[in-house]
Amino acid sequence: MGGLLELEKLSRRYGRITALDDLSFSVPAGQVVGFLGPNGAGKTTTMRAVFGLTDLDAGTVRWNGVPVGQAERRSFGYMPEERGLYPAMLVGEQLEYLGRLHGMSAIDAQSATTNWLERLGIADRVRSKVDALSHGNQQRVQLAAALLHGPEALILDEPLAGLDPTGIDAIGAVLVEQARSGCCVLFSSHQLDQVEDLCESVTIIDHGRLVVTGKVDDLAHSGSRRLVVRVEGDRDALWAKGLAGVTISEVDAGAARLVLDDSVDSQSVLRAAMAAGRVTEFVFRRRRLSEVFREALA
Amino acid sequence: MTQAVIAVILAVVLLLRWRSRAKRRTGDAKRAWSGLGRVTSDVGLVAAREMRERFRGRIFRVGTLLVLAGVAAAIVIPTLDKGTSQPQTVGLVGTFPVPLRAIVVSSAKSAGTTVRFVSVNQETAYADLRSGRLDLAIVAGQELVVNKPIASTDTSTTAELVLAVAKQLGVAEAVEAAHLTPAQSLELASAGALPVRSLQRGAVKGATQTTSLIGLILIFVMLTQYNTWTLIGVMEEKSSRVIEVLLATVRPIQLLTGKVLGIGLVAFAQASLIVVFSLVLAKSVGSDLLHGTAPVVLVSTLVWLLLGYAFYCWVYAAAGSLAQRQDQVQSLAFPLSLPIIFGYVMALTAVGSGSPSTLFKVLAYLPPTAPFAMPVLVGLGAVTWWEFMASALISVVCTVGVARLATSIYKRAILRTGARVKLRDVVSSAAG
Repeated sequence: MGGLLELEKLSRRYGRITALDDLSFSVPAGQVVGFLGPNGAGKTTTMRAVFGLTDLDAGTVRWNGVPVGQAERRSFGYMPEERGLYPAMLVGEQLEYLGRLHGMSAIDAQSATTNWLERLGIADRVRSKVDALSHGNQQRVQLAAALLHGPEALILDEPLAGLDPTGIDAIGAVLVEQARSGCCVLFSSHQLDQVEDLCESVTIIDHGRLVVTGKVDDLAHSGSRRLVVRVEGDRDALWAKGLAGVTISEVDAGAARLVLDDSVDSQSVLRAAMAAGRVTEFVFRRRRLSEVFREALA
Repeated sequence: MTQAVIAVILAVVLLLRWRSRAKRRTGDAKRAWSGLGRVTSDVGLVAAREMRERFRGRIFRVGTLLVLAGVAAAIVIPTLDKGTSQPQTVGLVGTFPVPLRAIVVSSAKSAGTTVRFVSVNQETAYADLRSGRLDLAIVAGQELVVNKPIASTDTSTTAELVLAVAKQLGVAEAVEAAHLTPAQSLELASAGALPVRSLQRGAVKGATQTTSLIGLILIFVMLTQYNTWTLIGVMEEKSSRVIEVLLATVRPIQLLTGKVLGIGLVAFAQASLIVVFSLVLAKSVGSDLLHGTAPVVLVSTLVWLLLGYAFYCWVYAAAGSLAQRQDQVQSLAFPLSLPIIFGYVMALTAVGSGSPSTLFKVLAYLPPTAPFAMPVLVGLGAVTWWEFMASALISVVCTVGVARLATSIYKRAILRTGARVKLRDVVSSAAG
């Protein structure tokens, strides 16, 4: 397994609304790539375009250099934003059916269904109807449907939405495991902390345009420096207000997270803090993904 | 017949596939054959799922049992007063010679019953006729008295007995009056009727009329039921959003074809079960259902059920792709059902009158109404085999056109969510 999913100059308009505007990025094998953007940025349209569910005005989706067709899509796994399963169909039969549509034999589909239901902790629901399952378990079944046939690329639209921490951990572990086995994994989410934990790379879009793309570590170490300073007795970090070239990003229980312009000397900040009181914390931090996101869209 | 079902629907699919493939043909024959195998495999998988889910459904099982019960009642009840019914009680008023009694017994046998003689006076006979204790009274061998008037078309056992006895006793009286020799009498008694040939086609009667009616009801109920299933099935796939998962793997035309093929095979299986059940039951209880042209009408009914479903299923599927919720089904299905209701009512009228109008004959060549009109014309004997085939051919050709249009609408509407999609929006987007 291993390949490269390339999205090249995708454009799509709905009347006066531009959903995709010359959007290009790629998803390499072996990585979990977070696909981020505000609501209406074009994430779902992009993912649907990979599966031919949205007609493009221009642009091409390629898999290993070849324009994606039905045969390629059959080897992909897809989890749409609006979950899609037959509500009255039995879980086991439904997964086997979807597996067979992906080209699996009946025996392989049955075996894979058993394995994935066990792996996701819902083996006892194989004879249940989908609409009898909880939201979290339906989400697991949906993920199993995307994984059943051993996809070369996984495209997941909001796979973590509505899950409790246990569910997020379970599904997150599966995504990382798939990437480690050589699969391309692209997933969208608004839960940036989880994305930061799971992803090697992120792509951020807005108004259908690419804003930022790169490895999470590179993005975290780029941009302005982040300095966390705690001054005893000043829970609102009043001491930092008005410092030239310093922006207060947030204040959490007295710890001020400061963004320093390039021209600012950290020692001058330390002196200002010490002048305000006893300094109990003074440490540089990496840029968080939520900060990358906000600053990219600012 | 099942092969015919598959052949017609696959013909539509393959024609559409061929048309689309012709535009982007690369000349790679090997790949084309491989693709075709994949297409039929996907269509088969979708069809198999549809069949499994429908067969498993309570509506199908209960509905089938109810239809079978209704058909059984329609077949068995008319036979209850025939054949194995209780002996007919004949009151004899005055003298009635033994040879004449033998004529009554013989007439009863030809009417499929037996008789029991009771000697009564005239007053008692009349009273017993009114109370039902007597079925027939023969007064002095000269007159037959019954409680209610009997029409010449009455097919009840008592009516057939009375008509037969009246005729045979009349003949016996004429023979006696003519003073014929025994040999002459015997020859006269065994005389058969001359064949009668009519220049005009006659009205449908008896068994064929009943069969036509059963067939019409079957076509109406099944077309309405299964096409609504198709509409709801498409709508449910859209509203549950499973359509996105499916279309990420298979093409819209494969999904749609598999769906209508699966539901169509279930419909055909159910119809075949009902027809076979009807034939077996009719034979076992001695019903008239198998007489005359009735079997031909039944076969014609099955053929036009198939052709009717093949025509309408695409239309209903396209309508289903426009819907978003269950409450929109009625408003979408109603206008589509109008030609079905029109064809059904016209066909019922034609069966009742026994004389099809020119308009009705025209309807037999229009695909929306032909499934109702053509089987009736077959029952009336008012259509030749080539006229039948011509109508079927028109229906198949129009079905291909309707399937293309419906598939185009389906592809454009099935992934649109939110409010109900308007047909003009789909058409305008197609034009744009």
